[in-house]
Amino acid sequence: MNNAPITATKPKVAFFDFACCEGCQLQVANLGEPLLDILGAIDVVEFREVMSEKWDKDYDVAIIEGSITDHHAEERIKKIRARSKVLIAYGACAATGGVNGMKNSFQLDEIRQYVYGKDFKFFDSAKTRPIHQVVKVDYFVNGCPIYPPELVEVLKCALRGLPYTVPDNPVCSECKLNENVCMYDKGVACLGPWTKAGCNSWCVNNGNICYGCRGEVKNPAKNAANDVIGKYNLSSDLIQNKFEMYNKCKEGDTNGKK
Amino acid sequence: MNYHILKKDELDGFIKKLSNSMKVVAPVAKDAGNFAFQEVSGASEIALKYIPTILPPKKYFMPPREKMLDFDISGPQPVDKAVLDAPELAVFGVHTCDLAGIQCLNMVFSERPRDYNYLRRKEKIFLIGMECGDYCDDHASCALVNSHMPSGGYDLFFTDLGDRFIVHVNTHKAEEIVEEMGLAKAASADMTALEKIREHKRGAFRNEIGVDPRKLPEMFDKGAKSKVWEDVGHRCVACGNCTNVCPTCYCFDMADTINLDMKTGHRDRTWDSCQFETFAAVAGGENFREERADRQRHRYSRKFKFPLDRFYRFFCTGCGRCTRTCMADISLKDTLKTLAKETV
Repeated sequence: MNNAPITATKPKVAFFDFACCEGCQLQVANLGEPLLDILGAIDVVEFREVMSEKWDKDYDVAIIEGSITDHHAEERIKKIRARSKVLIAYGACAATGGVNGMKNSFQLDEIRQYVYGKDFKFFDSAKTRPIHQVVKVDYFVNGCPIYPPELVEVLKCALRGLPYTVPDNPVCSECKLNENVCMYDKGVACLGPWTKAGCNSWCVNNGNICYGCRGEVKNPAKNAANDVIGKYNLSSDLIQNKFEMYNKCKEGDTNGKK
Repeated sequence: MNYHILKKDELDGFIKKLSNSMKVVAPVAKDAGNFAFQEVSGASEIALKYIPTILPPKKYFMPPREKMLDFDISGPQPVDKAVLDAPELAVFGVHTCDLAGIQCLNMVFSERPRDYNYLRRKEKIFLIGMECGDYCDDHASCALVNSHMPSGGYDLFFTDLGDRFIVHVNTHKAEEIVEEMGLAKAASADMTALEKIREHKRGAFRNEIGVDPRKLPEMFDKGAKSKVWEDVGHRCVACGNCTNVCPTCYCFDMADTINLDMKTGHRDRTWDSCQFETFAAVAGGENFREERADRQRHRYSRKFKFPLDRFYRFFCTGCGRCTRTCMADISLKDTLKTLAKETV
């Protein structure tokens, strides 16, 4: 990554999507007032959800949503990477694999047949991979969907050539500061204790549990997980299943490193 | 002795009058037996009997996120301006454990270099204490550190006498407010009733660990390599709940954020936690407390050993929050008892 701040003219920024629900793009389009400030700082040259123009030169920043799930997508992301100075993977699908990773729990042909029927051989498919398992990623914005204020922070770091580190504390650390009553006190299992913070405990603030969409912390407390499962009389399968909803692609990371 | 009386049915008027001149916060009941300090407009919203709130009242003295300054780097020299948001505030119903916590923080932030954000905010806060007649629950260990009895650090202090509160007036500001509200002086019968409550407490509150508190620092010296730390570390989630809810934990982080104009921005300080893996990590990849066991021992030492050398008092107030909030059931009382067994 070129660490020099991008300053000369307004940086050319493009948004792309791969296998995803495009919900993170919707979050960007719905930013409200901060969107005007962002548009004052960057020049959006491609963004399928909101405009039809295309750009044929290099990108200063490419913002990628979605995971890589077939060979065509792999070729396409490699081409985008080659044309981009900085690449941001945003949203769980792109940053960690997200719900698309559930596909990796099955034999590929088995799941292809289930989805496409008897002619499944005509439909290309591959194991789900987050972007960094295919090309180099400079910035990550975890979450399903992204937490909009975090995207703004990452964008500012990218424009200034500064690093951004996804917080590696459990969601509890933010949840407690918001003085939420612990979901476990309410008798509900929540993935906050093992999931990366940075979302300001968005879901729990709104009465929901943490689904683990930002990915597991680097050094999760395995023993504590057993204690918590015991203390609250939960089944370990339940917790495991909850985890696999978003964390299945982690297996494709070598020792958790990119 | 400056004691006054407030009848219970007059509490609502008291809160309402107070809220004419400042924001009033008090413990309010939340789900599943939890409480939190929140803004109130009348007595009916207040939980007079409550177990310690999720966050202690330190959140008003050093907010979890606090803007320290605004800056502008567009000119040849960067320009900055300190900012402080410190509204007049009354905190009602603070238990003696939390008053002790604020006393600890006062000492920390009065040390040079003084923390003016803390000190100036503190000046704007009117503290109204509330006595506990009995233990809130089994997790408390306030008698061990002698914070179950009032020992200053408040403007007004309420003790429940059944149909009325006896109110100790401790500061000049409190005297003015009591005079303005026209609270009657306490009679000798009220003082007798108060003494009866204190007498009951001397029997009901007993050293919860069964170890002379003077022995605690020595226990930590001897028990530095105790197995108890390994056990606690084995169970710890490293979520930082215990430090976030602690009335005396004050570690913070400081970071600059730039606005989208790429010229102006602000510096914020946020609560940090020694339980996070990154807390003692330094450049070059070294981490002084890489293991959860080391980090937990550090936390306990910051309550029962280190502050004794520096501030001559324990930085545990016995509120029991760290035990109540722990996902992994790590109990402060149990940890101390085990350590005592090995070392005393």
